[in-house]
Amino acid sequence: MNLYEHEGKKLFSRYGIAVPRSVLWRKGNEPRRQWMKSPVVLKAQILAGERKKAGGILFASGSADVARRSRAMLRKIVAGEAIKNILVEERVAGAREWYVSFSYDTARRAPVLALSPHGGTGIANARVSAIDLSSGVEDFFFRDAIRSAGFRREDVVPLLGIVKKLWSIFWNESALLAEINPLFRLSTGELVAGDAKIILDDEKVCPGERRFISLGGDIAILASGGGASLLSIDALVRRGGRPANYTEYSGNPPASVVRALTKKVLSQKGLRGCWVVGGTANFTDIYETLSGFVAGLGEVKPKPRYPIVIRRDGPRQKEALRMLEGVREAGRYELYLSGSETSISESADMIVKYAYGNKTARRVKK
Amino acid sequence: MSILVDKKTRGLIQGITGHEGARACREMLSYGTRVLAGVTPGKGGRTIEGVPVYDSVREAVLRHPSINTSLITVPALFVRDAAVEAIANKIPLVNILTEHVTVRDSAWIIARARREGVRVVGPSSVGIISPGKGKIGSIGSSAVEKKIFFPGHVGIISKSGGMTAEIGVLLTRQGIGQSTAVGIGGDQIIGSDFADLLVLFERDPATKAVVIFGEVGGSYEEEAARLISQRKCTKPVVAIIAGYFTKDLRPATVLGHAGAIVSHGQGGYHSKVSALKKAGVHVASTLEDIPRVLKAILRL
Repeated sequence: MNLYEHEGKKLFSRYGIAVPRSVLWRKGNEPRRQWMKSPVVLKAQILAGERKKAGGILFASGSADVARRSRAMLRKIVAGEAIKNILVEERVAGAREWYVSFSYDTARRAPVLALSPHGGTGIANARVSAIDLSSGVEDFFFRDAIRSAGFRREDVVPLLGIVKKLWSIFWNESALLAEINPLFRLSTGELVAGDAKIILDDEKVCPGERRFISLGGDIAILASGGGASLLSIDALVRRGGRPANYTEYSGNPPASVVRALTKKVLSQKGLRGCWVVGGTANFTDIYETLSGFVAGLGEVKPKPRYPIVIRRDGPRQKEALRMLEGVREAGRYELYLSGSETSISESADMIVKYAYGNKTARRVKK
Repeated sequence: MSILVDKKTRGLIQGITGHEGARACREMLSYGTRVLAGVTPGKGGRTIEGVPVYDSVREAVLRHPSINTSLITVPALFVRDAAVEAIANKIPLVNILTEHVTVRDSAWIIARARREGVRVVGPSSVGIISPGKGKIGSIGSSAVEKKIFFPGHVGIISKSGGMTAEIGVLLTRQGIGQSTAVGIGGDQIIGSDFADLLVLFERDPATKAVVIFGEVGGSYEEEAARLISQRKCTKPVVAIIAGYFTKDLRPATVLGHAGAIVSHGQGGYHSKVSALKKAGVHVASTLEDIPRVLKAILRL
């Protein structure tokens, strides 16, 4: 889960990392503060990167200017995201900008600290040091990392304080990324976080949540298995199919989970087909999961008239196919059934053909 | 021969009294794999499928010193404790079946495993099977496994459990047997990646070629390409990479597996495919291409 800047900064404050004075501005809530008479920055609260380039960061001076620009900003869509909140923040001028972050590196399979005395350029130009969790996370390691990143001797101790606090956030909150870019070093020596980018581990925040991503097409997808779902949509897209969504259930979910997911997937607008696809399951109960599909299908209004192509195999697949044949023979749906004798690619051919025309193949009477 | 699992495998199942653990136990026993003991703290003294249950790994290892592999099936919140317990008892191979382990816990487990010289496979690993010799985990359910895997000379390494079986089926139907199939899991941080296992397959005389199933996100496929370029794996490798359609999605979107993170540039579909091709890997665009390419390579 990605946190918005203002959420990240709240976390910073809680862990003792200084942030500029700020207030959240939104439609119907236009706060006035004494400090807003001085120059401020208006920051669109969106998750996309490169906010500045996309016009999501503006400068303003004086209450009238702040109000005018903020209202205009709230009407904008930046990098595909509608702006709902603006962080109005005291402007920090004349400071040096540094970069500091913690994240995981898949090559080293360990957390890494990235540091640079030149902020704004991101992790690409930072010095990256892997953290050996088995030897304990000690201050000296951070001090060494700071020095080797090119910071001046007198900056090491103050920066160490920030690095340790950021590490606490990263570790205690199960973050995948905790980044301050830029970290302002004021002329007074004070260190203030100019931005906050925090990604929390979904497994901690919302474990087991089914991912659903809208893809804008017209073929509803219910895929099983992380790998099969990606490969299947690849096969569909390569054949000119337009997936309406990405979603996936894996493991061995009860029928009720598949039923709810089916209803969600089939409630999308403008569908021309539905594709239920997966690899050969190791232990997913195919009968159980497809019973959930049928239950969900029965609850979708209006009743789906478009073709439904199912390709599933694994434990209890034969029983599942018999059950589905019953549903088809009752003449209620246009169902095409297969197991692993039909490849994922062939199944993709079927859904593309039946959804978009050339329906020369046998068609079930309604 | 094979890698990681063979007739000498002596298993321990941590979490054996749970649903997943008991199922894996039945599966492994029915495949002829020796499961010597199970561990569930507080439930020692009972038996599951005839396998004695102990309260701690220490106790299990004391009673059954030939244990050389532990399968971890405990719920995600307890995985770190269970895995570190196995590592502290120096069980040389720890296979984590559990899904939804946080990256933080995985990183912690891997750091401890490295220090103790223990190999970890997973989390989110469907298991490891050396057809005809033995298996760990839920790989190749006994209900369907007869048509999935059979002994032969091709290794499989897959981020996806379902795709491990799917590739197995495709190869088996074409008469191409397997030496060992390993589900490495699709998490962001995993105990053993493609490169780690390619090195083992390189040393295994029974393996003549390896199939890898990769996905967008992370750098494990690129690292496999680097290893192959450095000639640390000289056997033919056939790869299939999933996530071609993600090229137009917003970066950092997470798809099915926790490690399947939409990336453009490094970690993206084209980065992986071009790195592998440059290293001389045969990149298949569909699953059905895999047996075709293998037959050509192995002159079957």
